[in-house]
Amino acid sequence: MSQTLPLEGIRVLEFCWVWAGPYATMVLANLGAEVIKVEGHRRTDLMRRSVIWPRYEPVPTMLPPNQGIAFNTLNRDKKCVTLDLSNPEGIALAKKLAAVSDIVIDNMRPDAMIKMGMGYEDLRKIKEDIIVISSSGRGHTGPETNYLGFATIHQSIGGLTYLSGHPDDHPTHGTGGDADILNAMTTAFAALAAIHHRINTGEGQFIDYGQCEGCTSVIGEQLLGYLMTSKIPERMGNRHPEYAPYNLYQCWGVDRWLALEVHTDEEFAALVQVMEKPELAKDPRFVDMVSRKKNENELDAIIGEWTRQRDRDWMVGELCKAGVAAAPSRDGKDIYADRHLQAREFFAKIDHPELGELRMVRPPWKISDLELPSGHAPLLGEHNQYVLQGILGLSDEEMADLRKKDIIM
Amino acid sequence: MFKGALDGVKVVEYAAMVSGPYCGKLFADFGADVIKVEPPAGDPSRHCGPFPDEEKDPEKSALFLYNNTSKRGITLDITKDEGLEAFKKLLRWTDIFIDNHPGDYFEMLGLDWESLQKLNPGLIYVSITPYGRTGPRAHVKGDELTLIHAGGEGNLMPVRSYDLSFSPVKFGGYQVGYHGGVAAALTAMALVLGKKRTGRGHMVDIALQEVIVTLLAPILHGMKYNDNSWCRVPDRPPAMGRMETSDGYIILGAADDHHFRALRELIGKPDWLASDMWDDMVWRANHMMDIAPKMEDWMRQQKKQDIYHKIAKVGIPVGPVNTAEDVMNYEQYQARGYFVEVDHPVAGKYPYAGWPYKMSASKPQVSRPAPLLGQHNEEVFCRVLGYSSDEFKRLKNAQVI
Repeated sequence: MSQTLPLEGIRVLEFCWVWAGPYATMVLANLGAEVIKVEGHRRTDLMRRSVIWPRYEPVPTMLPPNQGIAFNTLNRDKKCVTLDLSNPEGIALAKKLAAVSDIVIDNMRPDAMIKMGMGYEDLRKIKEDIIVISSSGRGHTGPETNYLGFATIHQSIGGLTYLSGHPDDHPTHGTGGDADILNAMTTAFAALAAIHHRINTGEGQFIDYGQCEGCTSVIGEQLLGYLMTSKIPERMGNRHPEYAPYNLYQCWGVDRWLALEVHTDEEFAALVQVMEKPELAKDPRFVDMVSRKKNENELDAIIGEWTRQRDRDWMVGELCKAGVAAAPSRDGKDIYADRHLQAREFFAKIDHPELGELRMVRPPWKISDLELPSGHAPLLGEHNQYVLQGILGLSDEEMADLRKKDIIM
Repeated sequence: MFKGALDGVKVVEYAAMVSGPYCGKLFADFGADVIKVEPPAGDPSRHCGPFPDEEKDPEKSALFLYNNTSKRGITLDITKDEGLEAFKKLLRWTDIFIDNHPGDYFEMLGLDWESLQKLNPGLIYVSITPYGRTGPRAHVKGDELTLIHAGGEGNLMPVRSYDLSFSPVKFGGYQVGYHGGVAAALTAMALVLGKKRTGRGHMVDIALQEVIVTLLAPILHGMKYNDNSWCRVPDRPPAMGRMETSDGYIILGAADDHHFRALRELIGKPDWLASDMWDDMVWRANHMMDIAPKMEDWMRQQKKQDIYHKIAKVGIPVGPVNTAEDVMNYEQYQARGYFVEVDHPVAGKYPYAGWPYKMSASKPQVSRPAPLLGQHNEEVFCRVLGYSSDEFKRLKNAQVI
């Protein structure tokens, strides 16, 4: 298909590792930007070698540098150049690349790029309209700027953890990296807004991104609610402040659960029809939303008794057909087995030179008339020649010299 | 006048609750001209609260107020012919149309993607639905609870659970909506930039279930190596993470060996922590349960904020589990000016959560509080769409507006 991807012509230079930075630039690459990842070949992105939890005995915890699964998930469609950034010559080359890039992004500690002489103030001297983004846990300013953290910590500081979990038990953060993915997508949005500003005005800028703040911006109404009522919002488990039934119900089998939401009286009538208990719709305890909410425990017990004896997926099918919002609480195997996701080509086939065919989720958007790329994550140093000779015009002799000095691999 | 990063971008948002409205807010706070269209009864989030004094008032819902800053708001009954005509005029005017209705809602009004393209060939149409516009579940209903579980996140929570009979659980608040809104905004933003070169419009199909699965993608793909599914009850006693203090919870991330060494020194190396074996990650992974009760006892004697700073200052990743009150009083946020004061004519003045991006040249801003129901009807109909004031009055009398 002849097509122009929306971000074609935008070059992004990344000094990122782990999750929050790499996914931000991966989505830009998916939408057409040229993303060049800079890594030291003796100091690679940690994820290149690590196995994701759970770590099983037969699996080595350190893999060869192109085989880490998280790395391959979060760096697709990018190019990789190796440069030893502890060497001034390596830094000088990185700066030359910055001079021909639109966006430079890092997610290291706030002072890391500045120490290497590649902070915003340095880079704008090389390229006046450069956009520099630094994504860090607490941000570049404030008393805690040097504190360390990772996704689950940011979620907890941000206030989301306290709100999540069962009401009579401990709070829970999400899985190891989901705050990073949220922050990555938000970072990419801010980067594109800055590109728009540059088109309008010719001006570049510095973006100081705080990942804790990214987790707070998604509970804005909870904070405002606290200020309005002076009551600290508490955990509600799977329940909703107004709707009932609205919960998770145990099904036949081992650890199988049905999620069910009823938003209207019509949906409730449809639910009890499927349950073959139509009389419940007329029961004064459950006749409207207010009554159902008031008698929620009784109602949940009745539904739970019904679900406990039945197959989860059968119930999901019948309820959805009847117009009720129902879903299984899916585990990993359920996700891969989901025919709906398969029909939407959610699992892209990625041909990886070392790992063979991988089935990995594409970014969560489909765009009409555009075929988005599904290339593999770059091998370590895969694009050294393209980047250093193709873009910077280095000669074969210069390349050999860099290799000899161990600045590139 | 405020000129933000997205000065000149026009957006029509006809969306309810969180995902579409948050997407619209992200544009509006950057200075895009966002016109929010509401049915005569208003966005349902107006009726959701929380409310001041817990008294329902469609102009005081925190959920609506937060997600609709910086927009102009109009009401329109698009089930009436004249309402639909006016809506089409808006769609001709705009660059982006944000919609989070069920897939067939606008199709039944004759506004399928083909017709929309004829109406406005450069239109960027962002459709946010529970499961997407195609596939066997295209018409299945879903919202916060069903989608967080359908997308796999819920099944892994509570993280570090200890009992399988304790059910999986969702995030608090409206996380499906917010995450979907960010994914939608990012895609639409890329297409706005693309359109500057190609002039082309596109339809974006955002499935909220897929947004949730994306959060787990690296873990999901990890199945390649262990051919196992995941579980909220870990396979071996976890080495670290959530711990209880005397006045709340804390997340302790002394994951690397040098972190744990620093922690042992901070605790004062009592007998049970004296051995240097504890500085070895593999040893910890297999023996942590031997000392976990003592670690927990120690932590329960500490105060949350106090021990947080002590641990952070020796270079260990750590964070308190903050309540809404803690977040509002968080010094780091105050020092960074994270909260922004918004004065709403009915709900009053409050500090709102701001943005995680501090921009040196094009700062986001709340340029106006969330609109009152129909607040900008006359302004939009007469000045944007070019209706005469007589026509406007007639539409108003016919209850189209």
